[in-house]
Amino acid sequence: MLIRAFALFLLALAFAPAHAQKAAILTVYTHPSFAAEWGPGPAVKEAFEQTCNCQINYVVLDSGGDILQRLRLEGKSTQADVVLGLDTATMETTRQTGLLANHETDLSALNLPINWQDPVFVPYDWGYFAFVYDTEQLPNPPKSLEALIAAPDDLKIIIQDPRTSTPGLGLLLWMRHVYGDQAAEKWAQLNGKILTTTKSWSDGYFSLFMNGEAPMILSYSTSPAYHMAVDKTDRYQAAQFEEGHYLQVEVAALVDSSDQKKLGREFLDFMLSADFQRHIPLKNVMYPATDLGDELPSVFDKLIQPEEALYFDPKTVSDNRRQWMNEWLDAMTR
Amino acid sequence: MNNLAKRQQHGLPMPSTPGRPAPFSRPGWQLWPGLTIASALVLLSVAGLGALIWEASLPDISQLWQSRYLRTVVTFTIWQAFLSVLLSLLVAIPIARILARQPAFPGRAVLLRLMELSLVLPSIVAVSGLVSVYGRQGWLTGFSSDWLGVSWNLYGINGIVLAHVFFNAPLAARILLQAIEGAPPSQLRVAAQLGLGRWWYWRAVEWPAIKPVLPGVAALVFTLCFTSFAIVMTLGGGPAATTIEVAIYQSLRFEFDSGQAALLAMVQLIICGFLWWLAARRGLTASLLPDRRVASHRTKAGSSLQARLADGTVLGLFVLFLVMPLLAILTRGLPGMGSAFFPQGSFSVNPALLDATVRSLAIALPAGLMSVCAALLILASGTTSKRPAITRLTDVAAYLPLIIPPLVLGTGLFLLFRPSLGSSSEGLVLVTLINAMMALPFVLQMLKGPLGSLDSASRQQADQLGVLGWYRWRWLHWPRMRKPLALAMAYGTGLSLGDFGVIALFGTPGQPTLPVLLYQQLGSYRMDAAAATGLWLVLLLLVLFSVFNRLGSPLHKTGLATTSPRRVPEPEHA
Repeated sequence: MLIRAFALFLLALAFAPAHAQKAAILTVYTHPSFAAEWGPGPAVKEAFEQTCNCQINYVVLDSGGDILQRLRLEGKSTQADVVLGLDTATMETTRQTGLLANHETDLSALNLPINWQDPVFVPYDWGYFAFVYDTEQLPNPPKSLEALIAAPDDLKIIIQDPRTSTPGLGLLLWMRHVYGDQAAEKWAQLNGKILTTTKSWSDGYFSLFMNGEAPMILSYSTSPAYHMAVDKTDRYQAAQFEEGHYLQVEVAALVDSSDQKKLGREFLDFMLSADFQRHIPLKNVMYPATDLGDELPSVFDKLIQPEEALYFDPKTVSDNRRQWMNEWLDAMTR
Repeated sequence: MNNLAKRQQHGLPMPSTPGRPAPFSRPGWQLWPGLTIASALVLLSVAGLGALIWEASLPDISQLWQSRYLRTVVTFTIWQAFLSVLLSLLVAIPIARILARQPAFPGRAVLLRLMELSLVLPSIVAVSGLVSVYGRQGWLTGFSSDWLGVSWNLYGINGIVLAHVFFNAPLAARILLQAIEGAPPSQLRVAAQLGLGRWWYWRAVEWPAIKPVLPGVAALVFTLCFTSFAIVMTLGGGPAATTIEVAIYQSLRFEFDSGQAALLAMVQLIICGFLWWLAARRGLTASLLPDRRVASHRTKAGSSLQARLADGTVLGLFVLFLVMPLLAILTRGLPGMGSAFFPQGSFSVNPALLDATVRSLAIALPAGLMSVCAALLILASGTTSKRPAITRLTDVAAYLPLIIPPLVLGTGLFLLFRPSLGSSSEGLVLVTLINAMMALPFVLQMLKGPLGSLDSASRQQADQLGVLGWYRWRWLHWPRMRKPLALAMAYGTGLSLGDFGVIALFGTPGQPTLPVLLYQQLGSYRMDAAAATGLWLVLLLLVLFSVFNRLGSPLHKTGLATTSPRRVPEPEHA
């Protein structure tokens, strides 16, 4: 009985449709939240395929770090034509692999808080790191990083580990940007308020924050937009800090060994068009890289507007990351 | 030697087909397939690790004792794993004893299924359940601080150990129960006739039964806790709680330092490998209990009212410990189930969920089957061969997949197969293979005892009668193995059904499996949908374990194939 069931099953697998494609295929390495059914991926694919007589093929890797790792491992034999989903923290290391080509995209339409002139990487969205808080548990959140650090230890926060997570690294850079060489000391003061340091954003947000374990979690300033627009609740808001907020920019780039370079460059151009950008705000829950005008969902007007965008040049990050990480480890385990 | 001569050498021809030898009766059939798989496993692991070192060249080994960070990481990893094993076994032994003493009470079967479930739960779902019970806002935390004046902090070593006990104590109890139930019935009979008290019953029957499997169980739990990752970070409180696996992830994924990753993987290999070696040495002496199975004799030890009450209380507490987090998963998942199953008001399964379920099963069922087949072949060649080197090789091969960090193995294999890893369907085949490999240690642990429990007298008799090859398997082993095989199959399938790591490593086309779907939903703030997917995964696992359990216990007896070793009827004593 069991054996028969398996035989049937294997047979079914063998006859699974083998699809034949003739049109040019553009292989894009990306991460799960972009390619998910409800993420921007499918809509973008549909819109681009209408213009290009081609087919987009997403290869979904676990995170931006994994895209870089896969590219490094595959080297020049990689199948990727475009990599999408790297960020300012992994950008420099990816550039140093020498596997990417210049984009030739006109960047004048960009609408970022900083001036962007990079020849290799094209931004497709951006956001600020911020502490999201539960208004029911914490009606009066701290108004600055300094106030958070000085708060009594019974105010608990959840952060992510800079060794394994992008927002985690973002907070490390944020602290470094605000406090410079005093960062380690400030981390030691903050330590008493940290309920736990999770591996990834999802672990903290799902298992802890949404279970009410702590009133504040390290996340993005855009997170409340999703809760307001889709969950229809104002309960979760981002706390605006006086010192300014650290900036994250998500980027894409063309792979040098690609045999579809022309198509790849068309895709990068398309990335800055409204047909691509309009899917970013609610499907990727980030700010679009260009000005969408009236198309920007109204909940985005209710988000915090940081006075200053804090940002380290990717090269500075890549040169100092290890040392800063060690300082952090030292301060936290002292 | 031709077949005829060999048949004559072994005595009588086969009962059913007098003229022809039994299929697969050559001794080579028992040795070579298993040996090939075992060697392939060892080779793959060595090659995976080697590829990493080749990429980067090994870093300075002295940093292991010079760097304070690495020193704390190694010490902490061992310490938390040690505590977790100790507590898991302290919970598991009494529970296994009680379950063996009380063979029939309402809900026992359900409890066993739930115990099987805990190991294969995806960690993010289980942690969410644990947090809703024991966290700062947890049910139990509130209850105990309001009513008992006791408060605790989940985050830190206590949270890590609590979660590890939740995952591993039920598994350990399940294996120990199997061992106690397999105790030689002659001992049970004598014990029953003598009317032994608890303590003497433990000395005479239970301890001898669990002693041979205990080192293996301890090593298994230790390794699982040693390599634990997301749980340690989520509940650990901060970077002071860092295991070697975290450091490996960090060096591979963020610092691209394959040399450091390989070095750390080797540290892990040495520590866990040493432990397995110890366990194998201890376990070898007593792994075979040469005794004939006879009709079972119930002990009187668990039958007095007082004893039953005590057993019931302990078991009740354990059930609460196990069920409360599951209930939390249920209550959290229910709201999202509405949109998963009634998207437009009427009943229809959300296509994304359905597709992901089918895809997950398409990977998990073959993976489970493969790991069970591989385990049987490896066990066969391990027991057939007289040469200790081969036995050793099969032992090593069986536990390697558990000790080598999947990330290291995966990256290494990726480097090896780099040019040929083209389409995503090849990637899925690879995922199935690696999942099968990852499940192997568990499957082996399930099957080793029952396969070895065939007594030598039966063996000799079978040899004399020429019951060999397929027939030997069909008539001698199958009746005894049916139940453990079904359980092993359930574990093998369940483990890869809940797997996230391997599939994320190789990259998938847009279509996700269930755990990947869960993570995608989490990544896009769809917390309710994610909770529902988590609940759906738990229910699916529960159904899977029930179905396999049903398949493992036949409805009617056929000839020699009696349901279980315990109930071999008296007339069949030779």
